[in-house]
Amino acid sequence: MGGRGENHIARLADAIGAELLTRRQLLAGAAGAAAVGLGGGRPARAQSVKRGGQLRIAWIDTVDTLDPHFTSSLGAIKIHDNIYNGILKVEYDGKRVSFVPDLMEKWDMPNPVTHLLTLRRGVKFHDGEECTAETVKWNQERLRDPNVKSPHGWKLADLDKVEVQDKYRLRITFKRPYQFLPVAWTGSTGRAGTIVSPKAVAKHGRAYGRNPVGTGPFRFAQWVENDRIVLERNPDYWERGTDGKPLPYLDRVTILLIRESSTAVGALMAGEIDGLNLIPFQFLPMMDKNPNVQVFGGVEGNYTFIGMNNRRPPFDDKALRQAVAFAVDRGPIIQQAYFGGAIPACSAISPPMSDFYNADQCSSRRAQHFDLDKAKALRAESKYKGDVDVEWMVVGQYTGSGGVGPRMAELVQPMLAKIGIKVRIQLYEQATWHKKRNTGDFQMYDEGWVADLDPDETIYPEWVTGKPWNFVGYSNKEFDRLVAEAQFEPNVAKRKALYDKADTLLAADAPCAFIGHFKVFKALSKKVHGFKYIPADSMRFHAVHL
Amino acid sequence: MGGPPPAARRGPMLQYALQRLLHTAVLLFVISVFVFALMKMAPGDPVTVMLGADFNPESYAKLRRELGLDRSVVVQYLIWVWRFVQGNWGTSYISGAAVTKLVLNDALPVTIYLSVWSLLFALVIAIPSGVLAALKRNTWVDYVGMGLAIFFNSFPSFYLGIVLIWIFGVSLGWFPTMGYIGPTEDLGGSLVHMILPAFTLGAWYAGLIARITRSSLVDVLNQPYIKVARAKGVEGRAVVYKHALRNVLIPVVTVVGLQLGGMLRGAVMTETVFALPGIGRLVTIAVLNREYHLVQATVMVIAIMFILINLLVDVLYRHLNPRVREA
Repeated sequence: MGGRGENHIARLADAIGAELLTRRQLLAGAAGAAAVGLGGGRPARAQSVKRGGQLRIAWIDTVDTLDPHFTSSLGAIKIHDNIYNGILKVEYDGKRVSFVPDLMEKWDMPNPVTHLLTLRRGVKFHDGEECTAETVKWNQERLRDPNVKSPHGWKLADLDKVEVQDKYRLRITFKRPYQFLPVAWTGSTGRAGTIVSPKAVAKHGRAYGRNPVGTGPFRFAQWVENDRIVLERNPDYWERGTDGKPLPYLDRVTILLIRESSTAVGALMAGEIDGLNLIPFQFLPMMDKNPNVQVFGGVEGNYTFIGMNNRRPPFDDKALRQAVAFAVDRGPIIQQAYFGGAIPACSAISPPMSDFYNADQCSSRRAQHFDLDKAKALRAESKYKGDVDVEWMVVGQYTGSGGVGPRMAELVQPMLAKIGIKVRIQLYEQATWHKKRNTGDFQMYDEGWVADLDPDETIYPEWVTGKPWNFVGYSNKEFDRLVAEAQFEPNVAKRKALYDKADTLLAADAPCAFIGHFKVFKALSKKVHGFKYIPADSMRFHAVHL
Repeated sequence: MGGPPPAARRGPMLQYALQRLLHTAVLLFVISVFVFALMKMAPGDPVTVMLGADFNPESYAKLRRELGLDRSVVVQYLIWVWRFVQGNWGTSYISGAAVTKLVLNDALPVTIYLSVWSLLFALVIAIPSGVLAALKRNTWVDYVGMGLAIFFNSFPSFYLGIVLIWIFGVSLGWFPTMGYIGPTEDLGGSLVHMILPAFTLGAWYAGLIARITRSSLVDVLNQPYIKVARAKGVEGRAVVYKHALRNVLIPVVTVVGLQLGGMLRGAVMTETVFALPGIGRLVTIAVLNREYHLVQATVMVIAIMFILINLLVDVLYRHLNPRVREA
């Protein structure tokens, strides 16, 4: 274990050391960083910043709660990022995604299971309480407390103990080395590292999600159900802008909860609002052409797929599933369902998982790809002869999780007809769709897993035997073993090799047909400056100014 | 005017009121059973929605128990009704906010405000147009007016809303495309924000009222008493305003009353398109999230409003049409 441990420590130290520098550079450049174009993250030349003003931004995805330890919606996490800080945070330099200190100042690892954290001093919550080692300890224990029932508790399942050493220092011990920790500890998608105010949780109880108190650049001001969420400038925020004064620059951010995306697009075009947190693909050409709008986006840590119920006929037959995987031509789907805003996926790991993405999966044609002859041959091998009728359940709404509505099903339908699979497309609304998916009451469906920054997040709960999100009922012992081993493998190269094998196995078993890694787009008016695109579907307004 | 003496009239009036009250109670009971059953029969449930991607059988069972959804449907219904009549409408599963606050404080005023403006707008446009069309019947004024009326009456409101947003909001920039400002917050701002939604919702209504006004005015103008009035030498306009219009209003009031429910239906679409936080949008989102308490309370409130409006129409109708009063 020793050697592997050293590698891990070296990797973390290397990452953090490098990122600290990057972070400083980022802080210096962030405010002035002008718009990053499509797919990019180019920091531009610094420019003078303006303080004050209000940003009005439309939110078209659901916001469930502002308690980060309980959310299951990305729409909410994007807001949390502005109210809270994490132990770590996600950064992006245009090429690589990395995890850098946020509330933490220093991270030492005397051995692979022990983490010594030194916190930033003098950070205050919006209610005036200081964020100390005790606060972080309380947060970690809240997450894993079975009585609290946080849906993110599993991320700290291997946490052994948290000891406070002094006001700003903690010693956190895990039962085993834990490779997912840097992601779990981020304040954004990780959620297990988002630090909430213990005092406010005690005060509000169950209503805390509607009365959040964090240490972030904006404090919560108001939530009018189904209408708006208002955030106000935190005058005591600790990060500084390019003018040397505390961030944020904006006085207020008003989040307009607009479900109808065409309304939000219209409002942005009319100049009534300053941005949109998500652009459905069909509006993309229009947004790109508008001279007053800047579009941000790129391929993110996600993949979409056509899931086939492995437990039920006819997809209990591997050859038939494989035939589907080879019969699907990803090109037209990407052009017509995603309006070009995606790249083909041959397996589950996507490009922003920089250390693990394997472009070779596609180029070598060893994973899934379009090959009609092969599909026909596999179809002939299938135990289900003749025409097969199946139902594909789709959800009508644009879901923000790669959901493109029934468009993809309509495109795939004729492709599968060529191999004798007759698809009946059945439209359900979201609640019904969720219930059917979760209880395995379907033959075929489509969806995507989003905002994942580590293969563990992207593969483990989704495809390991009996895991909660393995809705299609896939089971392969060898696959289970490989990804379980990868969770605790500190050596990046070895870990990548394990994921490569697992990924290849998954593509070959074809519990699903992988379709695309899609881009997530946001739009802001040209008068908004300083927004930095991060491919984790985040929306940080720390250094944004008008 | 004849009519029975006040003392004699009180008897039937009281009886009438009691009868109406009884009808209302029975009706509300039926509606409550219906909406409760309907929500329970709808596939999907709030627990699945609340758990989202964090679904697993254990947490599902646990949350179901916590929300009392594991009890029998009859017990759930009785608990709900008992609490409802006491004014305890429960809390929203998703937001944790009191349903009374969400429905009565937040959403209902918005919908009422929108409806009032839509109605006013519809009446102001439709009655003069109908009158004009009737007076100039079979001329181009009539054809254009009635053509427009049929057009707006048959144009789907959500689509009209989107078209208006793009023409008057995005392209011309004359009006705000979305959002709500309360009249107490900023009266001018709230009116400007109401123009497009009120037009969208009112247009359908205006088309309907204009057509009714026209046809009933044409009808009334052919009645003998108008001819008598004309023969007596009453000027053209006076005939219309003093004699004909009161009678024209009877079918108009009836239709307005009956169709106010249609306005609530239209509000669902209009509020969604214009991002207005009214009852229509509330109930749409609540249905999608399977927020049982919220949907049930909203439907009950809409039903009560419906009944009140009908009562109001009856009273107005009696006032306008003495024959009904006598009967």
